[in-house]
Amino acid sequence: MKPFTYSAPASVAEAAERLAAPGARAMGGGTDLLPQLQRGIRRAGEVVDLRGAVPAGILAAGQGVRIGAATRVADVARDPDMAARFAVLAQAAGAVASPQLREMGTVAGNLCQAVRCWYYRHPDLTCWLRGGDTCYAQVGDHRKHGLEPGDCISVAPSDLAAALLALRAVVTTNRRESFPLADLYRKATAGDRSTIALDDGELVTAVTVPEPPDASAYMRAGERAAWSFALCGVAAARFGGEVRLAAIGVSNLPRLLDPADPLAGLPGLEMTGWKRRLLETLTQDALAAVG
Amino acid sequence: MQLRLTINDQRHELEVEPHRPLADVIRTDAALTGTKVACGEGTCGSCTVLVDGRAVLSCLTLAVACDGADVRTVEGEDELLGRLQAAFTAEDAFQCGFCTPGQLLSAVALLRANPRPSSAEIRAGMSGNLCRCGAYPAIERAVARAAGEAR
Amino acid sequence: MARLVKTQVEMEGRYEERWTLVEEDVTPEYADGEELAVVGHPHTRVSAAARVTGGARFISDIDLPGMVHAAVLRSPHANARVASLDRAAAAALPGVRAVIGPGDVPERDGRPVLTDAPAYAGGAVAAVAADTPDQAERALEALAPGWEPLAFVVDLDEGLARQEFTEDPEETSRGDVDAALAGAAAVIEAEYRTPTQIQTPLEPHCAVAAWDAGGLTVWSSTQGIFAARDELARAFGLEPDDVRVVCEYMGGGFGGKQGCGPEGYMAAELARRAGRPVRLVYTRRDEHTTAGYRAPTVQTYRIGADADGKLVGVEGSAVIGVGVHGWVFPVLNPAEALYECAHVRSMVLPVKLNLGFSNAFRAPGVMEGTFGFEQALDELAEELGIDPLEIRLRNPAAIEQASGKPYTSKHLEACQRRVAELAGWKERDALRSDGRVRRGMGLASQIWWGGGGPPAHATVRLGKTARPTLVCGFQDIGTGTMTASAVVVAEALGVPVGHVRVQAGDTARSGYGPTSGGSMTLASVAPAVRTAAHDVRTQLLDLAADMFEIAASDLVLADGHVSSRDGTLRHEITEITSKLGNSSLVGHGSRGPNPDGMRVNTFGCQAAQIAVDTLTGAVTVEKVWAVHDVGRIVNPMGAMSQVTGGVLQAVGFALSEERVVDPTTGTVVNAGLEDYKVPTIADTPEIVCEFVDSPDPHLALGIKGLGEPPIIPTAAAIGNAFAHATGVRVRQAPFTPRRVLEALAG
Repeated sequence: MKPFTYSAPASVAEAAERLAAPGARAMGGGTDLLPQLQRGIRRAGEVVDLRGAVPAGILAAGQGVRIGAATRVADVARDPDMAARFAVLAQAAGAVASPQLREMGTVAGNLCQAVRCWYYRHPDLTCWLRGGDTCYAQVGDHRKHGLEPGDCISVAPSDLAAALLALRAVVTTNRRESFPLADLYRKATAGDRSTIALDDGELVTAVTVPEPPDASAYMRAGERAAWSFALCGVAAARFGGEVRLAAIGVSNLPRLLDPADPLAGLPGLEMTGWKRRLLETLTQDALAAVG
Repeated sequence: MQLRLTINDQRHELEVEPHRPLADVIRTDAALTGTKVACGEGTCGSCTVLVDGRAVLSCLTLAVACDGADVRTVEGEDELLGRLQAAFTAEDAFQCGFCTPGQLLSAVALLRANPRPSSAEIRAGMSGNLCRCGAYPAIERAVARAAGEAR
Repeated sequence: MARLVKTQVEMEGRYEERWTLVEEDVTPEYADGEELAVVGHPHTRVSAAARVTGGARFISDIDLPGMVHAAVLRSPHANARVASLDRAAAAALPGVRAVIGPGDVPERDGRPVLTDAPAYAGGAVAAVAADTPDQAERALEALAPGWEPLAFVVDLDEGLARQEFTEDPEETSRGDVDAALAGAAAVIEAEYRTPTQIQTPLEPHCAVAAWDAGGLTVWSSTQGIFAARDELARAFGLEPDDVRVVCEYMGGGFGGKQGCGPEGYMAAELARRAGRPVRLVYTRRDEHTTAGYRAPTVQTYRIGADADGKLVGVEGSAVIGVGVHGWVFPVLNPAEALYECAHVRSMVLPVKLNLGFSNAFRAPGVMEGTFGFEQALDELAEELGIDPLEIRLRNPAAIEQASGKPYTSKHLEACQRRVAELAGWKERDALRSDGRVRRGMGLASQIWWGGGGPPAHATVRLGKTARPTLVCGFQDIGTGTMTASAVVVAEALGVPVGHVRVQAGDTARSGYGPTSGGSMTLASVAPAVRTAAHDVRTQLLDLAADMFEIAASDLVLADGHVSSRDGTLRHEITEITSKLGNSSLVGHGSRGPNPDGMRVNTFGCQAAQIAVDTLTGAVTVEKVWAVHDVGRIVNPMGAMSQVTGGVLQAVGFALSEERVVDPTTGTVVNAGLEDYKVPTIADTPEIVCEFVDSPDPHLALGIKGLGEPPIIPTAAAIGNAFAHATGVRVRQAPFTPRRVLEALAG
């Protein structure tokens, strides 16, 4: 790994200031940033450790809960209230990566993690999403990629994003009081290859789920029985008569699905047609689970 | 940067560059080579140690981010760890033994949180530690055995 | 008296005539049906304490005074020429002790270790040694190589079409296959594809090299210390014993760490130039790009039988993606040898590709060949309406099929019957359903070699405390050879296994010991160990006989005591040994040859029960039953562990492990453990394991090997179970959700 400086600011304001500097990188648990620095696919002038700056912990917020940005994913998974009232979130948190990575990874870090695409993470290639001019996946092996054509065919990896999207979660940053989780994400463009819609110096401080659903569930398929990023994950939450469905693993960004036509806009690519079947199955399973 | 670490009850004051992983500092500066690095990128669990009670991957943890932390490795003295070591031996829960230190530390964390885990809970709790020799059935038995021998 | 004889020596199915030193050996075999006190009973590992406390020093843990760290420059291109390399810039950086490039390292197997024409992504071009790993990394960057990328071929079908081979395709045949198949009642044709499987030892390939006045010492994570010693001695122009190779603890090999890998050559050359010890540890990425693999295959079979299911003709061809080079392993051996058939033709086509070299991975060739052939046989059984177990029982090979020689022992049919009984084979159709989750059961059989053989030497010494020390030239790569050897010593000397100290893994302190490979280690070593221990036993009993004034033949050694057969006399062994003072009883043993004119093979059969979620494509292996015929079992606990390990690696092969190479850049895209999926504990089936445990009457101690057999039939059994469960045959491993959903969609 290339040398960098390290800071552990004690306040959001100080963290924001440090993150505004060129080359500064936000670090939560480090589970996404450090492998990228090790592979040399990202560079850091300074690593800004946010764990002392942003809140950690799960607090009641009216009917709902407010989850501090630095809350460990494992703490979400094992919180009894979460399991009882926000099952989809507890299940999604419990499915993230491996036990150790859940102990390390933070909620905000999980939501903001980079895609797992094996070309994006290839140390010897610079793909379109990393600022190059080729989406190697489209011309190469994209068996695990998305169902949606585009400049980049990598898929959203965050299990928590699917669950929180289904739960109508809102995000709080140091600059904005609250906005829907979907707005945390943006499609990368030729001019800006980032998929996270945060300004320089802006950092997530909390995620709030306004109210518990009447029922919720997370359905997920990986490549083995444990410790696998999702091939596809579908979160469902029923609020009265309305069911919200959200999926990861099928398109660039976490995606709200139309329960009546979950495959809409997801035609599949040469090597990913099989994922349509998987998405259909997981959607039906999730819908069945929430009644 | 200046770094204060307590490793297995022993205090260390170290001068460490910010980019160095905790695994490297444990193995090199503290000369505790029981902690293994097999992948170096957070995928295999061999480098698992306890940091303030949490089982984490020391290859993906910056040492400087652990200032003031309490670190436990396979070399530590601990009743539960000792019970697990005996159970791993009795059940033949390793072959080459390279992944074993990480397996043991994950098992310590698992049994601290859940002293009587079911088979499914053991399999879930130990799923972040790869064993290529394939000692998994014995590892499951060993963790269950250690749990059953709790006083 | 020792003499030299010519005898046939086998390694992984390759036979050669070799001069062998044969020493007079008066050690009697264990008596037929004799109940042994130690051998055959379960024992925990003698090295357990070191391995569970972190005290075991693995090769990547070796830290020597003044040691510096190596890093290797590797090509990012699938084929390239190196136009420029700024060695001076690298050498000028702080902390850099040595820089080596193309031509600087002695050749390995006639090939350059560092090259300016790397023919695959990951090929080594240069290496550096510096005071810290960071400084070594900086030095690699300073080399600033200028690459000239060249055309490449990484796809197996494309490689075959291009007809470029690593060695000439070879056809072998017996009988008249075409005529036989023309007269068959049923003939099936099928193509099977197997993936590139990476050995994935958790300790990467690594070596620490140090030179001193006495020569070169290399601590190597190797499966063969003596093979490594001889290689290094040849390469660096030294006497064999000027090179010392040490491997006390290493983190797994599975076939991929035979002899001295390129890492040892590079470390030795860097250490020579740096004048300091050098440590070189491969990265995980290196393990997936340049450390070897089980080569991918395309197997095509044409198999015919008469109406009773008797095989009349077998034709097979195997296209093997060898990479830039590699051994060609016997993929078609199962087709040639597992069952009796007079008319067999096989064709092997080793295709050259711009990918790293392939090498041995546990049952190389045979495991992937069994995946194809044992499923093709099920297809034939189905065509004939014969039960898959039944068709196997109807085609037993009474003699070794290629050579026509008799087996030293063979209990395959007993394994098949026992597996069927354990698994409830007759009722297997009750597992099936029309629901979303389909269950099924399949089985497959296995043949491998594993007789072991000479040379192997052992020394046992017993001193005043009656705690014997065994010195032997093997290395324990996790297979339990240390423990099994201690068991053999304990049996002979009547002491607890825990009292036996085993010193192995160091060429400087023992005579030759074999490579851990081909399922031959214990079968090679144990007879030498027993002879050495028996030698000490004889001396001890002579001393006791003298001391207690009784005939040595009336004494027995057991439970730490020397006793008379009539029970009137019983003394602790230490009563004798305590009088030895600074003397020791020293015994020596060496391995004699196996009987000429016979073939030594191991056999086994496994059944697998699986569940297929037809809507997600998820396959779960629920249970595996394994029964193997590997002669006498020395330590059932260690033997069971070998079986579970083999089964689990095969589960990975069947369900999730597959190296993926990008067709447009020719680079491996899943070069790490996130995307290359080995099984976790959560993927582990229940494994039921039994052994025939019948000592081979023609082999010393009755022992055959066990390393490879358990990995061989599992994947084929899973494939057959899949077809039983779903009615659909997926002829390509691994059975990923994608492949399953695509197959079920028709």
